[in-house]
Amino acid sequence: MLALAPLDEEFFGGTIHAVLGENGAGKSTLMNLLAGILPPDSGEILVRGTPCRLQSPRDALGQGIGMVHQHFMLVPAFSVRENLALAQTPDRRGGLDEAKLIQSAVDVAAELGWEVPLDARTEDQPVGVRQRIEILKVLASDPEIIILDEPTAVLAPDEVDDLFRVLRQLKARGKLVLLIAHKLSEIVAIADRVTVLRRGVHIATANMAETTAEEIATWMVGELPPQLAGKGGVGSGSVVLRASGLRARGDRGEESVRGVDLEISGGEIVGLGGVDGNGQVELAETLCRVRPLVAGQIESGGTVAYVPQDRQVDGLALGMSIEENFLIGGLSNRDLVRLGVVRPRSVKAWARRLVETFRIKIGRLQDPARSLSGGNQQKIVVSRALDQSPAVLVAVNPTRGLDFAATEFVHSRIVEAAERGCGVALFSTDLDELRQLSDRILFMSRGQLVEGESAQSLLGGPA
Amino acid sequence: MIESLISVLLFTTPLAIAAVGETVNQRAGQINIGLEGMMLVAAYVAAIVAIETGSPVLGIGAAIAAMIPLWLIQNFLTIQAGRDQVVVGTALNLCAIGLTSTLYQMRFGQSGQLLSVPQLPRWGGIDGMVLFGLLLVPVLGWWLFRSRWGLVLRAAGEYPDSVRSSGFSVARIRWEAAAVGAVMAALAGAHLSIGVGGTFVQEMTSGRGFVAVALVSFGRWRPAWVLAACLLVGGAEFLKFYYQVRQTALPYQLFLALPYLVALGVLVIVGKNSRAPAALAQPFRSNQ
Amino acid sequence: MNSVVRFVAVALGLLLTLCLTLVIFGLPLGPSLSRIATGAFGSEAGIARSLVRMTPLLLAGLGMVLAWRAGMYNIGGEGQFIVGGLTGATLYKLAPGLPPALLGISILVVSAVGGALYAALAGWLQISRGVQVVISTILLNFIALHLLDYCVNGPLREQAGQNPLTDRLPDLAMLAKFSVRTDLHAGIFLAIITALLVFGFLFFTSPGFKIRLVGENQRAARANGISPERVQILAMALSGALCGLAGGVEYTALAGQLGRSFSENWGFLAIPVALLGGLHPLGLIPSSLYFGALLAGTDYLSRFSVGGKSIIYLIQGAAVLVFMGLQRWFDQKQPVVLDEEART
Repeated sequence: MLALAPLDEEFFGGTIHAVLGENGAGKSTLMNLLAGILPPDSGEILVRGTPCRLQSPRDALGQGIGMVHQHFMLVPAFSVRENLALAQTPDRRGGLDEAKLIQSAVDVAAELGWEVPLDARTEDQPVGVRQRIEILKVLASDPEIIILDEPTAVLAPDEVDDLFRVLRQLKARGKLVLLIAHKLSEIVAIADRVTVLRRGVHIATANMAETTAEEIATWMVGELPPQLAGKGGVGSGSVVLRASGLRARGDRGEESVRGVDLEISGGEIVGLGGVDGNGQVELAETLCRVRPLVAGQIESGGTVAYVPQDRQVDGLALGMSIEENFLIGGLSNRDLVRLGVVRPRSVKAWARRLVETFRIKIGRLQDPARSLSGGNQQKIVVSRALDQSPAVLVAVNPTRGLDFAATEFVHSRIVEAAERGCGVALFSTDLDELRQLSDRILFMSRGQLVEGESAQSLLGGPA
Repeated sequence: MIESLISVLLFTTPLAIAAVGETVNQRAGQINIGLEGMMLVAAYVAAIVAIETGSPVLGIGAAIAAMIPLWLIQNFLTIQAGRDQVVVGTALNLCAIGLTSTLYQMRFGQSGQLLSVPQLPRWGGIDGMVLFGLLLVPVLGWWLFRSRWGLVLRAAGEYPDSVRSSGFSVARIRWEAAAVGAVMAALAGAHLSIGVGGTFVQEMTSGRGFVAVALVSFGRWRPAWVLAACLLVGGAEFLKFYYQVRQTALPYQLFLALPYLVALGVLVIVGKNSRAPAALAQPFRSNQ
Repeated sequence: MNSVVRFVAVALGLLLTLCLTLVIFGLPLGPSLSRIATGAFGSEAGIARSLVRMTPLLLAGLGMVLAWRAGMYNIGGEGQFIVGGLTGATLYKLAPGLPPALLGISILVVSAVGGALYAALAGWLQISRGVQVVISTILLNFIALHLLDYCVNGPLREQAGQNPLTDRLPDLAMLAKFSVRTDLHAGIFLAIITALLVFGFLFFTSPGFKIRLVGENQRAARANGISPERVQILAMALSGALCGLAGGVEYTALAGQLGRSFSENWGFLAIPVALLGGLHPLGLIPSSLYFGALLAGTDYLSRFSVGGKSIIYLIQGAAVLVFMGLQRWFDQKQPVVLDEEART
């Protein structure tokens, strides 16, 4: 699939240029091309008027292009000092003259007025500090072009302010700052120019002075209704899932779910929006009892089925057969497994039925799940979850990476499940999806739920 | 008393050299279960060459040379082909047992004979290898923690992506770490036959390579602590000689099992508080 | 990649490894191969020898399959084998008066239990104390070995003689033999039946399914409400049970008494058997037969040429290395349809 359609764009020094778009719009692909991480299928990149081939991040850095990744390239067990030195060391010869290696990074930090705890262990630092270390790593080699991939996604509000102060400083020095984002409100405050991508296609580029937030929002998601409160439908009335005071920790031990109360009625689809990394996955896992609770309570009126975000990591056993991947969700089905014994014929018939009703394109049921395309893999995960006739379905970005037909299909199945009385918690970063399906939309921000009332709040941050 | 201490030192040296070499390997993200086999091959080659040439030093050189094919085969499969490190290491051990025992039997007959191998010269009960082993700890400690090479190597064992994004090759670093481990295995094995024992018997490593692998986690992946762990286990091993002198009510086999019990016991106590390199034993795929 | 091609490739690889090893050691290829064949299959005694050696390899190899399939590197088959035998001998010491038939069966049962507990200990240490199974089982092997040495010299030493051996079991408590001329015993049937049972367990029961799932993708297991830790401890216990059973069979089938060299590295040799059998219970039947025959054959070969006996280790190790290389080749041949999603 084409991640990015042919695109012409110019970027100027001394500006902060935001690239906006929803998930899967092609923002990251564009930036990876510029940072030398992905080679383009066609086209060329000119830096200061000269065409250059960027084969690796090192090449890009040689051309004065540095990228701050959303996923930090920091060794968690290293001290901050060691991480800075690792990024700066030109070779592997000789002693570790850390002080000299990190000098330029320390200088930049001093100029920016940052206090960097050099001797502390990197993993013990809050996310904001770790991001600063990433930025310092890039700034230390004094690049002309700095790309930041979703830098605000993980930051607290005051940290965002700090970051923006720094970006303005960089701009004042004549640098080009490329900012990837999907929170519109923040961009309004800082960007000079904005480019909007949607589903891999370049929609528009404009100077911020010549456009409005509403216009950009329309570019991003198509026509926006004035209110985004969901369809407003009501469920059957009886509550099938009640969670109160939920708290949970993320994989690195950080507090990622910070006091969530949530009630879902049978037949209701509750959309849970928000920017990636605000605790959605952790909340979903907590609701499904995959992640331990730190505090709070969950009551559910029956089975809770789970469609995890990353099908390949959490959903499927790629080396096992398609049939067996169905069975992962059917172990408590009495028709398939009785007294611990699997009934192969029933499983086969059942798997075949799911393949047919969900129109999954497979070779043989015995083929490994690895042999399927992503869309068909996802259909396996969704179909086996829905087949349990769950009281509650928790789905995280269930259509990410799927083509149009598959997306429609999954959507219709989720709606059908709700019509049968299932309460659905639909976590999604795709606005269209939330609007189309949800009866009610909540917004997740820094581990807490916020009501989603206006277009502004959905697009990010307080209105 | 001092004599016993010196003996402990001499007995501990092969274990310590192997374990410190394995520390470098594990810091780069590789576990070498084949260490036992490497030491065994080295012990055999060193003994044979020392007998043939009369020179223990040449024996050591030959032991190092003998590691080259093992190093190539093992790391081709683990680093280049991404195969499981534990499986490859286990297979390597089998090869080593088969190879050394067969060669030994073909040379000295089925039941073997008591070999007398030219030994390294000793001064006051210790030989050059003991000093080398003691010196090795600060040197490798410096190399791991105070050199650029060590910085990148440790990053390769913790978070290989960061190494790649800094422009270095994870594969190359791991080949190098494996080479250090292999040379140390060669020295450790050679010291068993031409240093400590002055002989070669079949399967003479008797698990020291395995214990060395265990002691790396016991020593929390730091050369000085690994050395301390080795001395503790070496001391426990030495107790059996003490036992032979003074009969006690405790069974002799308890003393034989003591090094393993001590190692296991400490691992259980240290347990979750110690942190292995995060990418230990995980193949790194560079084709992403 | 179809399985016939795989099988042929592996078989050819094994044969080539065997020939190469013989040639490298300067053994004449033709005569050596024919002697190995004679030793393994040339006579009733030869076939019996092969099958007798196949038995512990198959049983302990199946144990390896159960643990490794769950992602637990059980290297401790040797220790579990020994502890199995020891538990059996202890039972005989404690209750020598049991009716012989009951005694024989009880010994098999307790040896499985002993092996299971010993292996579960290693599994528990990994889960609760973070001590890797690969390391703890190696240490536990040595501890078991010295424990055996202690027992046969001390508490379990035979009452009559002076030898460091346990009391010999009464004949009626021993596993049935087929012929007075050979050692072939009922254990081979027990082993093959166990292989079928393990096959059924792994592929047709929900705990077996969970073991494979946890080994394949722990996170997917957890996301579907399965606790990987519990499954892994179960896998270790079952693994140890089979290794212990192998020890019990060896004890009740051959000598009927334990000495310090009770296990001839069976638990250790079972690892390559399991790997070459593709960690598949049915694949282990040919692979254990191959190595059992090779053991019998090289035994025979060693009567003619010095050094024939230990060569088996080299052949086994080299075979696994070749197999690893072949697997890499299979992997490359496998068509992989990548996710169309541009992973960000």
